[in-house]
Amino acid sequence: MEKSFNLLHIIQHRRDGYGFALRPQHIQRYREYANIFKEEEEERSYKWSYFIEQQQKSNHSSSSEEERRAKLQAEADELREETVSERGRQEDDSSDKNSDSDGSTKSYPGKVVQLSEQPEKKSNLRRRCNFSKEPEKEVKLSEEPQKEVQASQIPGRETLLSKESDKEGQLLEETKARKVKSWSWTRPSLHVIENMMSSRVRNIKDLKDRHNTINGDHLPSIKKTVSSGGSSAAEINKELWIKETSDDNVDESTEESSADSKLAPESFFPWKELEFLVHEGVPKDLRGEVWQAFVGVKSRRVERYYEGLLAEETNTEQSKEHNNSKAAPRKWKKQIEKDIPRTFPGHPALDERGRDSLRRVLVAYARHNPSVGYCQAMNFFAGLLLLLMPEENAFWTLVGILDDYFDGYYTEEMIESQVDQLVFEELIREKFPKLVNHLDYLGVQVAWISGPWFLSIFINMLPWESVLRVWDVLLFEGNRVMLFRTALALMELYGPALVTTKDAGDAITLLQSLAGSTFDSSQLVLTACMGYLAVTEARLLELREKHRPAVLVVVEERSKGGRIWKDSKGLASKLYSFKHDPGSLVEEKKIPLPDPQEHVVWLKVELCRLMEEKRSATLRAEELETALMEMVQQDNRRQLSAKVEQLEQEVADLRQVLADKKEQEAAMLKVLMRVEQEQKITEEARIGAEQDAAAQRYAVNVLQEKYEKAMASLAKALSSPRSVSSSVESPRRRIGLFGLGWRDRNKDKDKPSNDDSGTS
Amino acid sequence: MGCSSSLPDRSTGRLGGLNVSESGGVADAKNLRVKLVLLGDSGVGKSCIVLRFVRGQFDPTSKVTIGASFLSQTIALQDSTTVKFEIWDTAGQERYAALAPLYYRGAAIAVIVYDITSPETFTKAQYWVKELQKHGSPDIVMALVANKADLHEKREVPTQDGIDYAEKNGMFFIETSAKTADNINQLFEEIGKRLPRPSST
Repeated sequence: MEKSFNLLHIIQHRRDGYGFALRPQHIQRYREYANIFKEEEEERSYKWSYFIEQQQKSNHSSSSEEERRAKLQAEADELREETVSERGRQEDDSSDKNSDSDGSTKSYPGKVVQLSEQPEKKSNLRRRCNFSKEPEKEVKLSEEPQKEVQASQIPGRETLLSKESDKEGQLLEETKARKVKSWSWTRPSLHVIENMMSSRVRNIKDLKDRHNTINGDHLPSIKKTVSSGGSSAAEINKELWIKETSDDNVDESTEESSADSKLAPESFFPWKELEFLVHEGVPKDLRGEVWQAFVGVKSRRVERYYEGLLAEETNTEQSKEHNNSKAAPRKWKKQIEKDIPRTFPGHPALDERGRDSLRRVLVAYARHNPSVGYCQAMNFFAGLLLLLMPEENAFWTLVGILDDYFDGYYTEEMIESQVDQLVFEELIREKFPKLVNHLDYLGVQVAWISGPWFLSIFINMLPWESVLRVWDVLLFEGNRVMLFRTALALMELYGPALVTTKDAGDAITLLQSLAGSTFDSSQLVLTACMGYLAVTEARLLELREKHRPAVLVVVEERSKGGRIWKDSKGLASKLYSFKHDPGSLVEEKKIPLPDPQEHVVWLKVELCRLMEEKRSATLRAEELETALMEMVQQDNRRQLSAKVEQLEQEVADLRQVLADKKEQEAAMLKVLMRVEQEQKITEEARIGAEQDAAAQRYAVNVLQEKYEKAMASLAKALSSPRSVSSSVESPRRRIGLFGLGWRDRNKDKDKPSNDDSGTS
Repeated sequence: MGCSSSLPDRSTGRLGGLNVSESGGVADAKNLRVKLVLLGDSGVGKSCIVLRFVRGQFDPTSKVTIGASFLSQTIALQDSTTVKFEIWDTAGQERYAALAPLYYRGAAIAVIVYDITSPETFTKAQYWVKELQKHGSPDIVMALVANKADLHEKREVPTQDGIDYAEKNGMFFIETSAKTADNINQLFEEIGKRLPRPSST
């Protein structure tokens, strides 16, 4: 077991559990989620088998449960034996469809690829008895682990795992031995679901028929009255919706309260429970058949129809004279041929034979519904379906999806797809005004991104786990509501990141890459289903009706060619100046055209379009005005005034601080000056003292000299007494003068030097 | 406005358009930002050209493009300006033309691609040129690209036909091969040189 898990990892290195290529940047994240997916898968396998068992119990209370369990166990054992025995003799021959061949599951590691082979004759022997072994065995073998779960609840899960591992080991031989079975019935255990859904299909058929004959509305409307004037498809959808809701009241549930049976027209059925299960995902092993049940393949299928379409195709190919009448199919065939190798390139299941199946399904659909023919995107749908179910089943499922769910979507004009984009834009403006404001500012149109999302039903846009989960819900609900909810959920999840982008390119790149890494499929589906309950089919129908005329007018213009186009372009630009100068537009309209009748038609179209545009423009203007007001009020005014206040406060504070500082500075300055002055005085005193000292030293010298002179003269005087008395008197007088000068110096600076010079 | 597109999406589109040409189209004189749209018949190699230019890869079995896909790439020109190309790669099948105006509206450049081995795609390219002349923005720069030049032994559209048609319609012409990467970068460099520069230089 561990070994096979390792193998699984090696194989998964570049492809996910469904065999689809992983982008290199996603491998790491895929690994992180792979275990979560595995756990979720186990949980839902268990829940589904329990649910189905409960349904069977309530439907067939006659047979005792033990009996049934025993039978199932026996069958499971038998099937296992069969598998083992037949594994040995795998033939690689598919041309001989009636030959008995291996019934083993052609399962890729992802456990999704289940192109199993069943003997044709067995399907002819089909009986509807649920508990006879025959039909149970004819169910694709992928059911086997599932049945084990049913038969022995908890041990079954372990068996499921080991079975998967076995299959993984078998991969290489099996790819070689794969054969394509054209048709297989869904397992009887799913018949309850199948029957419920088939009644939905019958309702649509009834309505379409009735709509073709009587063109009035005759259904009791509950919520919205049917407004006339829409295209037939929309009308039918609306009526269908009304019928479904009215079924709530009209149909009486057999035993228990009818509160749960929202859509149940025939008998009690726990819709809420099933819905809950679907939101959590359909188990891989059941997915193919559950999808068929949801789409109502059983009641759609017409015996031999598919073969008929293909036979017709080969006939026309042989007789090439009918070139003219078959020109359109020829064109489609060419496109199909171009696209087949470009559909899930490199997927292990789409080998030569897989591609042949894909080609047949697409060509058959183009013949079945020539008003649609072939449109790119269908190749992916058919390719996906072929990975989950046999060829003819895939064809009928595709028919159901394209003819009912996506009626008008992939036609030549793609009208409904354009309408849906307008509807989505309105919804997103309503739900995420700020995000849309930002995108408007960047010049990004939501439809650039959501358009491809819707057209591809998220294939190649999200990781596969998420795509399949979205498809689960979409096919269950039977309409396109899930497209809108998923897209809104993506915007909710990634809007906060988007508003940080600074240019259009970054915003688009970011959204694309974020969407591409939405590995948390449960979060996505739950956000979509729980968060946008207000986005209902009724609401969408209403919005589609509102936006459809605008699309129709443009399509009409386009088909008519350039002339009106150009004229209306002029008019349209004038429409924009309408608000500024209403007079000019009115004048323009008065100018007569050559052919009055044509002119009238043209004017009507114009008027219709202009009114629509005007209404939209007014709405938009209001929206913008509101948004602007909001922005100005909230962001600017409040913020600005708060800021101003804050700044003012700050300024005041700063001023106070500044004043304080100034005061301090002044005080400091004063102190400084005083200190300086003191210093100066001290310095002066020092200099004075020094000078005094020098003067005194000088005086001492002079006195010394004089003393010596005096002594000398004294000695002389000894010889002559007269001269001695005079020389002693004179030095005494000078000393008196000097002493006065020294005292004055403390008061006046200049004087001492004068005195000095005087003394010297 | 509503008439220049298949989706009559009212004033919002116009708002977007204005943004692109005024603020979104050009960042500043040295750093240009332009919206580029690739048009042409299915299977001529539009996605391959983009992938070669942006990622330097070539995948002979690339996926069918549904609706449109987006990639961006910045290049530096010799005069030291940089150009950020915001590339919309559109779906080729005829009916998707109904959605094309959504993508070419507001585009500064349209690259119209045909396959030199298929005259049919050359006719389709001419259809796109006319469509853009009618409904595209009047100052749109158009390039005519003859792709799959490596398959010269299967060539059915002479180079001269492409040159003549491009000249007549004031377009820039180049033969490329996404497979061998021949002329792919040159294509975008030439486009970069031909872009109208902001006058505020």
